Amino acid sequence: MSQAIVHVLKLQPGEVTPEANFIFDLGADSMQSLQLVAAFEEEFGVEMEQEAALAVQTVASAVDFIKAILDGRG
Amino acid sequence: MSPALAALFRPASIAVVGTNRVQGSVPYDLFHNILRDGFRGKLYPVSPRESSIDGVKAYKYVLDIEEPVDLAVIVFPSSVCHLALEQCGRKGIPSALVISAGFREVGQAGAQREERLREIAGRYGITLIGPNCLGLINTDPRVSLNASFARRLPEPGAIAFLSQSGALCTAVLDYAQARHIGFSSLVSFGNKAGATEIDLLRYLSDDPRTRVILLYLEEVTDGPGLMAAARQTIAETGKPVLVLKAGRTRAGAAAASSHTGSLAGSDQICDAAFRQAGILRCDTVEDMLDAAVALVGQPVPRGNRVAIVTNAGGPGVLATDRAVRAGLSLAGFTAETTTALKKSLPAAASIRNPVDVIGDAKAERYQAAVSAVLADEGVDGALVILTPQSMTDIPAIAGEICRLAGASSGEPPSVDFTQAAQPKPLYTCFMGQRDVAEGADILQRGGVPQYGQPERMCEAFARAWRFGVIRRRLRSELVEAEAPAGSTAAGELPARARELLANPSGRRYLPLDQALELLTCYGLPVPPYALARTGAEAAAAAERIGFPVALKAVSEQVVHKSDVGAVRLGIGTGGEAAEGFRAVREAALQASGARVDGVLVQAMAPPGLELILGFKRDPAFGTAVLAGAGGIWVELLRDVSFRIPPFGEGEALAMLEELAVHPLLAGARGRPALDVGALAGCILRLARLALACPGIEELDVNPLLVYERGRGCAALDARVLRRRT
Repeated sequence: MSQAIVHVLKLQPGEVTPEANFIFDLGADSMQSLQLVAAFEEEFGVEMEQEAALAVQTVASAVDFIKAILDGRG
Repeated sequence: MSPALAALFRPASIAVVGTNRVQGSVPYDLFHNILRDGFRGKLYPVSPRESSIDGVKAYKYVLDIEEPVDLAVIVFPSSVCHLALEQCGRKGIPSALVISAGFREVGQAGAQREERLREIAGRYGITLIGPNCLGLINTDPRVSLNASFARRLPEPGAIAFLSQSGALCTAVLDYAQARHIGFSSLVSFGNKAGATEIDLLRYLSDDPRTRVILLYLEEVTDGPGLMAAARQTIAETGKPVLVLKAGRTRAGAAAASSHTGSLAGSDQICDAAFRQAGILRCDTVEDMLDAAVALVGQPVPRGNRVAIVTNAGGPGVLATDRAVRAGLSLAGFTAETTTALKKSLPAAASIRNPVDVIGDAKAERYQAAVSAVLADEGVDGALVILTPQSMTDIPAIAGEICRLAGASSGEPPSVDFTQAAQPKPLYTCFMGQRDVAEGADILQRGGVPQYGQPERMCEAFARAWRFGVIRRRLRSELVEAEAPAGSTAAGELPARARELLANPSGRRYLPLDQALELLTCYGLPVPPYALARTGAEAAAAAERIGFPVALKAVSEQVVHKSDVGAVRLGIGTGGEAAEGFRAVREAALQASGARVDGVLVQAMAPPGLELILGFKRDPAFGTAVLAGAGGIWVELLRDVSFRIPPFGEGEALAMLEELAVHPLLAGARGRPALDVGALAGCILRLARLALACPGIEELDVNPLLVYERGRGCAALDARVLRRRT
């Protein structure tokens, strides 16, 4: 996941921490937020409900969000 | 002056939190506008991604800035504004402007985000403006702050504009730019999560650069607070407060159940409250700016006597018509003025008011005529009209008028109301568009109120004159006493009134006998009465009270008793009383679903003028007290006036003067004057009742009969609706 974030937001790997807020700490704008959702979908082979995905604020929450989708798929 | 708001208006350093490098976006434009328009203090961009913006070093977090910051301008998306504000609090930044949208205006989730901002601001003691606003502008050259996404800093001036709508600010700025209207400051306060229009009004009241305050409101949340702030501003500093309030047409009274309820729409109450507080309510942006340029550019007229000077007959007549309709009067000139005019004007000129200097008039002729009329002691102000003929030297005449108006310095006279011998105001109407443009420009730059049509000029003068009257009234109230004698300040609720309103039955209407008793508790004059439950009781009560008597059904369901035959008048014997009891009761029972508590036997009052008094609660202003033409036609006549309590006898008398029926009270066509003093006393008592009994939602006294002077009043009927519990 860190790789996808570093790639989309053009960051240094060390900047991505579990507590980091995509907008406030990592500076994601609205377009980059959409790109992140797409990158996570591709990375994990899941489909995410866009509104719910965009409401996720931190890296740790994104991990939980994707894990819940994967768990739900069994 | 509030130090917290001073940090907002006059910051020494600003952090723009959440900015970026995307030109044309709100986060970038906010930062860029502050930089471009020459802010005098230090500016720090705060951006999670950028190392610099527009060549200025950027910081990842506001906490990374080493120096102190006075104002944070937050432009992050709404979902993270609370994180930014929390950091501002930790850094000790005293004020914040949250520009971002996406709060209360978008629903429940947004309202929660807004509440979070409010909580953080409260916890750290941050003075907060917004969210969901355009920003703040201060044109003081020592500050030069455009913390907004308005296109440019307006010309400096003495008008302040506070607006609940951000978009309206940009439109007003554009419109004002074209008329060379300058501003001291502009604030778009958006959702009012922190500072409100009242806080801002109080700040601007003390601001030495502001002489006129304009306010655009979409909602009034604290009516009494707004009234108090406006009244204090006008009375103590002499500054006019003009309000453009949206929402005139909302039908708030449709479902009202009492006369007062149906007569008192929320906008009418708002109108009355503004008038009472001395606020000038405007209908359009143009109307508001017309009045503002008059009040900021020229002295407030001492009276309503105007002299019109024109180079064209037709526009002079148009101006005369509108001046008279607006409440102004055309001054009659003294012999000295007439002689001076005759000496300096050609034989064909009209030397009576309106003075016609004729179509070929040059600057000298205007100068002679305008100086002569302004020197006349019977003239309170001059209205100068020009139409562009081929021989009219428009710029020269404009320059001469600027000189006469004392406006060439660009420093209009003080609005200090204590000034005894202030000069007289001079307004112009250079009529037309293209040909007069250069002259209009000279006048506007010189601070002379210039209008394109004579009607607008006359309306603006009338408004300024009325403001002068209001200011004198408020000033004298301030001098008289803090709480005027006989005012309606709430007293202690009498024990019997408390019992009557206890309402163990849970019914919303107080039975008529109890409603009348409640009025008696507050000293309202009610003729003797008794409640009868049988014909025999009615006869006995009538004997006791004395004939003749009136019989009225007491029923919660019957609002208009006379409409259904549930009232009998002039009962002269015990037998008639017993018979009348049965008839009145039967009529009330037949009214759909009526439950009848009994019949009120009441002494017949002699005929008098029928009025209605009442009050209702209002979500914005608390309570509105009503007086009007009464009887069964109240809803048709709609001749009513309102006041917000507490108020004194002067306001009660003014309420009566506003009524169309007032000449009857004063004694029209040889009839005797009525007991206006007693009537005003009834209004004050009713207002005291309103303030002491918050458990009452609405109350009507109708009719209240008013008799000849010295004979008082009689409250014959009343309807009291309790609040839902």
